[in-house]
Amino acid sequence: MTASERFRKYLSGEEVDRCPAIEWATWWNLTVDRWHKEGLPADVDNNEKIQDYFGLDKCLQMWIGYRTKDTPRSAGNGLGIVNDEDDWERVKKTLFPPVETVINTKTLDYFERARQRGDTISFFTVEGFFWYPRTIFGIENHLYSFYDYPELYKEMCELYSDWLIELFRYTFEKFRFDFMTFAEDMSYNRGPMLSKACFDEFLAPFYKKVIPVIHEYGIPVIIDSDGDITEAVDWYAEVGADGMLPLERKAGVDVSTYLDKQPKLAFIGHFDKMCMKDGKDAMRAEFERILPSMMRGKVIVSVDHQTPPDVPMEYYKEYAKLLYEYCEKATHKGENIAPCPVFEKK
Amino acid sequence: MVVLSEISENLQKGKAKIVKELVTQAIAEGMDPEQILNEGLLAGMNVVGEKFKNNEVYVPEVLVAARAMNMGAEVLKPHLAASGVVARGKVCIGTVAGDLHDIGKNLVKMMMEGKGLEVVDLGTDVSPETFVNTAESEGCQVICCSALLTTTMGAMEEVVKLAKERGIRDKVKIMIGGAPVSQEYCDKIGADCYTVDAASAADAAVKFCAELG
Ligand code: B12
Repeated sequence: MTASERFRKYLSGEEVDRCPAIEWATWWNLTVDRWHKEGLPADVDNNEKIQDYFGLDKCLQMWIGYRTKDTPRSAGNGLGIVNDEDDWERVKKTLFPPVETVINTKTLDYFERARQRGDTISFFTVEGFFWYPRTIFGIENHLYSFYDYPELYKEMCELYSDWLIELFRYTFEKFRFDFMTFAEDMSYNRGPMLSKACFDEFLAPFYKKVIPVIHEYGIPVIIDSDGDITEAVDWYAEVGADGMLPLERKAGVDVSTYLDKQPKLAFIGHFDKMCMKDGKDAMRAEFERILPSMMRGKVIVSVDHQTPPDVPMEYYKEYAKLLYEYCEKATHKGENIAPCPVFEKK
Repeated sequence: MVVLSEISENLQKGKAKIVKELVTQAIAEGMDPEQILNEGLLAGMNVVGEKFKNNEVYVPEVLVAARAMNMGAEVLKPHLAASGVVARGKVCIGTVAGDLHDIGKNLVKMMMEGKGLEVVDLGTDVSPETFVNTAESEGCQVICCSALLTTTMGAMEEVVKLAKERGIRDKVKIMIGGAPVSQEYCDKIGADCYTVDAASAADAAVKFCAELG
C-alpha cells in the first residue's frame, strides 16, 4: 500500500495496514536551530529532509498565493494593503495572476514521482475566506471590516473564489493531490473569533461555491484553524468540508466529542505539543488518550501544530517511535467508519 | 432629552457616530458628564464585556463597541476634567518581548478603558525594563503582560523579578494572560493575577486599583 493509498483509504473509513504517520506542518525554526546544536546534521535543513531523518511518512505541501510582483507590500507586521474601496480598486489589478503562471509543472512532476515512489502524501494549500481578507485588510482592520466594509469584503472574496476555481481546475486536472487545506486560523483559546452569523454571511457562501469543485476531483478539503474549534467544526461541516486540523489540545479541544457529533469528518493533529518537553512517559500517556479516537474515527494523530523549541531532539525521536507504535494499532479493522463527504457514494 | 440607555444600546451595536452625537447632545442639555460616562458609555461596555465572556458576542463586535465608546469618551474628556472627575486607576499593558500577538492584548486594553481605567499601551515586543520603567514614571498601579507563545512567557517572570529589584512590588500589581498562561504559572512566577478573558481582567484591575488607592 503506498502512502497516498493508505491516506485516502483511511479517510474513506476503509481498513488499512496502519494510520498514516505524518507531520503536516513545517518545523518551527527555533526548534530546528536547537536540534542542530543537539546533533541534527547541518544539511538536514528543510521539511522533507527532516521528515526523512526522523523516519516519518513524507508529506509534501504546495502552497499557492494570489499576489504578483506588482502587489504592494504591507508597511509592517500585521498591517494590510487595503483600507477602503479606492485602495481595493488599485490593488485588485495586481492580484490573481494567470493560473498557469503560478503552478510550476516541474514541481507537479516532482510530486508525481514522489507519489509513485510510494512514500509520500501530498497536499495543496490556499488561504481561506477568513485568512485571505485578513492579509489584505491587516489583522485589526479585518476584524472591523465585517461592520465597516461588508460589501467590499464580499467582493474581495467573490473575485478570489472565481480565481480559485480556475486554479483548482487547472492544477487538479494535472495532479490529484491527496488532500487540500484552507489556511484559516479563525479561532483562539475561547472559540471562534467571529460569530456564526458573520461566518454564514461572509465565509460560507464562498466555501459552498468552491468545495464542490474540489470534490469533483475526489480531493478531501481540510480546514486549518488553530484554537478551540468546537463550535466552528459544525460550521465547516455545514459548508461541505471533510475535516479539520490541528485540534489544539491546549485550547481545550477534545476530538472524541467531535467524532460523536461529526462522524463523517476527518481530524489531523491533536497531539498536545505542550507535553513533549516532559519526555517519553508523558508522550505515551498522550497517545493513550487519543488512541480510542484513532480506533473509531478518521483521526490522524500528529503534533497539534509545531513542536515547540523546549523539546530536545532525543524526545522527538522518542515521539516518532511512539507515533509508529500507535499508528500501527489504528487499522480500522472491524470498525464501521463513515467515509469523508468527498468519498461518499453518490 | 437624551436617554442614557440609548447611548448604552447604540454603543453595544457599535454605532460610533450615533454614540458621539448622543453624548454631545446630552452635554448640551446640561447632563452630568460623570453620569453620562457611567450610565451611558461604561454601562454599555459592561454589557458587551459580559456577553463576550459568555461567547454571546465575538471579537469584531467588541472592537466596534469599544470604538464607539472611545468616540463618546473623546467628547466627554474635557468636560470630565473640568468637573474634576478622575480615572479609576492607571494601568500599563503590552505584549512581552519577542511576541507580536496583540489581538488579545488590545481587547484587554479596551475592556479596561470600558471600566473607566486609564491605560498606557506599550504595544508588542515590550521589554521587562519598559514595563517597569513605565509603571514607575507614569505611576501605574497595575502592569499587564500578555504572551501567546511558550517561548516568550518567561519574560513575564523577568517583569516580576525586575519590579522586585526596583522595590516597587508593594505599589504595583502584576497581571498576566494569553493562551499558554495559566493560574499555575501565575503562582509559580509570583505574579498577582491571571484571568482567562478580557472582561475578567478588567474587573480584576479595577479591584486592584481600588485597593491600592
Ligand atoms: C492569530 C495568531 C497569530 C497571528 C497574530 C496576529 C496578531 N497581530 O496578533 C500571526 C499569524 C501573526 C501569528 C504568528 C505566530 N504564531 Co500564532 N497564533 C494565532 C492564534 C491562531 C490566535 C491568537 C489570537 O489572536 N487570539 C485572539 C485573542 C482574542 O485571544 P488571546 O490572545 O488568547 O487573548 C484573550 C485571553 O488570553 C486574555 N488575555 C490576553 N492577554 C492578556 C493579558 C492579561 C494581563 C490578562 C489578564 C488576560 C489576557 O484576554 C483575551 C480576550 O479574552 C493562536 C492560537 C491560539 N490558540 O490562541 C496562535 C498561536 C498563539 N501561535 C503560535 C505560533 C507558534 C506562532 C508563530 C511562532 C508561528 C511561526 N512559527 O512563525 C508566530 C510568532 C510570531 C511572533 N513572534 O509573535 C502557537 C504558539 C504555540 C506555543 N508553543 O507557544 C499558537 C498557540 C498556535 C498553535 N496551534 O500552536 N499567530
